[in-house]
Amino acid sequence: MPEKVKTKAPEKEEKEKVTPAAFLKNHATELTSYLGLVLVIILFFATNTNRLMYNLSSVIQSAAVYSVIALGAVFVYSMGFMDISIGQQVGVYVILMILCNNAIGGWPGLIVGMIAVLALALACGALNGSLGVILGLPSVVTSLFLMFFFTGVQMLLIEGTGENTIYLQDVTVRPEDRDMYSVMLVAIIIVVALVATYFFKYTKLGKYTRAIGANETTARQSGVNSIKWRMAGYMALGVCVALGSFVLLTRTGTAGKGTGSGYHMDIMICLILGGMPLKGGMKSKISAALVGSFTYTLLSSVLTTMHVDLNMINFVKAIIFLVIVLMTCRKKDGVLPR
Amino acid sequence: MKTSKRVIALCLTLVLCLALAACGGKGDGPKKATIGVGFFSASGNATVATKEFLAGLEEKLNVTFQYTVLSQTDEAQNISKVQELIAAGCDGIIITMDMGMDSILAECKAADVYVAGFLCDFDSSYRNNYDGVFKHPNFLGSVADGDCGEDVTRGYAFFDSLIEYNEKHTDAPIKHVSMCTFPSYAFPLQQTYVKQFTEKLDEYNTANPDKAIEYDPYDTDTDVLQFRAMDSTYFSKHDGVDAIISFCSGTMVYPSMVSAGKDKTIKLFASGYGDGDNAVFGSKGAFQTEMVSGVEAIVYPLVLLLNKINGVEFPDQPAEAERHSCASFIINSDEDMALFEKNIYLTAKAEDALLSADDVYNLTAFGNENATYADLVAFLSHMTIDDLK
Repeated sequence: MPEKVKTKAPEKEEKEKVTPAAFLKNHATELTSYLGLVLVIILFFATNTNRLMYNLSSVIQSAAVYSVIALGAVFVYSMGFMDISIGQQVGVYVILMILCNNAIGGWPGLIVGMIAVLALALACGALNGSLGVILGLPSVVTSLFLMFFFTGVQMLLIEGTGENTIYLQDVTVRPEDRDMYSVMLVAIIIVVALVATYFFKYTKLGKYTRAIGANETTARQSGVNSIKWRMAGYMALGVCVALGSFVLLTRTGTAGKGTGSGYHMDIMICLILGGMPLKGGMKSKISAALVGSFTYTLLSSVLTTMHVDLNMINFVKAIIFLVIVLMTCRKKDGVLPR
Repeated sequence: MKTSKRVIALCLTLVLCLALAACGGKGDGPKKATIGVGFFSASGNATVATKEFLAGLEEKLNVTFQYTVLSQTDEAQNISKVQELIAAGCDGIIITMDMGMDSILAECKAADVYVAGFLCDFDSSYRNNYDGVFKHPNFLGSVADGDCGEDVTRGYAFFDSLIEYNEKHTDAPIKHVSMCTFPSYAFPLQQTYVKQFTEKLDEYNTANPDKAIEYDPYDTDTDVLQFRAMDSTYFSKHDGVDAIISFCSGTMVYPSMVSAGKDKTIKLFASGYGDGDNAVFGSKGAFQTEMVSGVEAIVYPLVLLLNKINGVEFPDQPAEAERHSCASFIINSDEDMALFEKNIYLTAKAEDALLSADDVYNLTAFGNENATYADLVAFLSHMTIDDLK
């Protein structure tokens, strides 16, 4: 026993003496993400000689939806899980809000729609979180089920209207002044970020989801009810997906068969660009959502203003994404979430 | 001597000033502009040919083009693409999709950018949001892919093509046909084509009982293609037909015919043109009719945008934006196909277009003081197979 004490003490001392090299090694992922963000911000201001304010507000518009959803997705990714039904959920939620608005009319209809969507999002989160544990399935499989389910629902809802696009009626959710709209979106991002940070850093929700991501067996043996906290993590994502859908609705005012398509991949890319470890765990950070969302959106804007062929932008993004994944992945843990 | 030198110097200065003034007037040409074009597809004959046609106009019109591809189903993506084009410095944007128009126009208004449509009838906006789109100061109008609004005649055109085929092939006429369309929520006009076609066929059968052509009633279960290749059950449902009248693109039908081994026994009358269709057209294969809108129709939105950017207007410019039909190349025979094969649509060479750069310049209000809106619209009806002769 005394020997153990002797061996632990120097380790603790070593940890306290953090050399610059050790700091760089320990924070390589975060530093890479922050450097990436700083780089695209510099490029953004350097390349935007015309229409700077316009392009800045365009970036905020695009980043707002990603940020809100990604902030919720942090809870799921920190457990080392993922949800590939996000895009289809967004599509159905936007359509439902519009249909409720059209059926009841005005703001009351939209509010009813928002409440219904929130309830549905929570239910889906609970289902997604619990099924994996109960049936012993990987999270990808349960979210795959929801993805197919929502794809079908989205098709049926839109085809049922007999139109290719449906519109919000008798209600204006987007301020006519573009600057005002940008302020509104920034306020939403800040509020959601503060709430998410509180839950992630200072409550059991954040601590247990990270613990599940670090080692689910150990977490369970330490008394963490993994079904309960997995459900809670997915429900947190559900709330953010519902809110993100509303933010998207303020941007478009319409919905169609393809609304929301690709969001699940975009969110994953945002989080990875932001430095989120794909295997989750204690190194997961809420800031990854914001850093990644803005890096991703600014990157698109910068590549466009640099007159990179618009069809080549996805290719360039893919290369950058691949480089970052290879630079930041923890090889011994593997690359992809469970 | 001194005085005469001064007079000569004064005269030379005057001449120089006049010359400079003349250079600064008519001679400096149109303003430098960037036009964004949002296509419906990244590849294919139509996209390649349109890009070549526009490339041929760049120097004369002092314009550069920036391209992107829009989504047929996701309005948020279209808004992002439009924002990207605006960020890339576009002064005007040509779009091929009617999705998220309220937000797209709000974006364009904020950036002082104009929008016009190409190969899109903006039917959803026209029916549901006319004031918001067609009366919007930044929306300049659109040219449809074929017919739009009250001008719809494509159902009759298919009937005419069918009868023309039978008149040419009296030894083996078509006696039994079926139809197919895209879903009505996306292409409501195709229902009108069905109605027109069957009405004409009923009239024909009554007047010519000995040459009657049977048609399978239009069935919303099997005859609506959900933007996917035709299902093989179509052929069992419509067993024994001699021809399929595809009011939607033939590219959704022909591969399924080949898979089912029906391409040798069933003829295909179709809208649109797929890459390589000429190799299986007329005497060479199943396709007997194809109806294609010329890529040169893009001059309608382009001229309207360039006029706005150059701060000029036609004397007969309508107060509100309009949508116009454009004539189609209706290819009914090997001879027609031979003509079509020489058009820019297939050659992808600007010199094979119906209009040269000078012609387009003369259609603009800044290039030709006598140019009118009526002339621009009239050109849209001069894109038939006869105009290729």
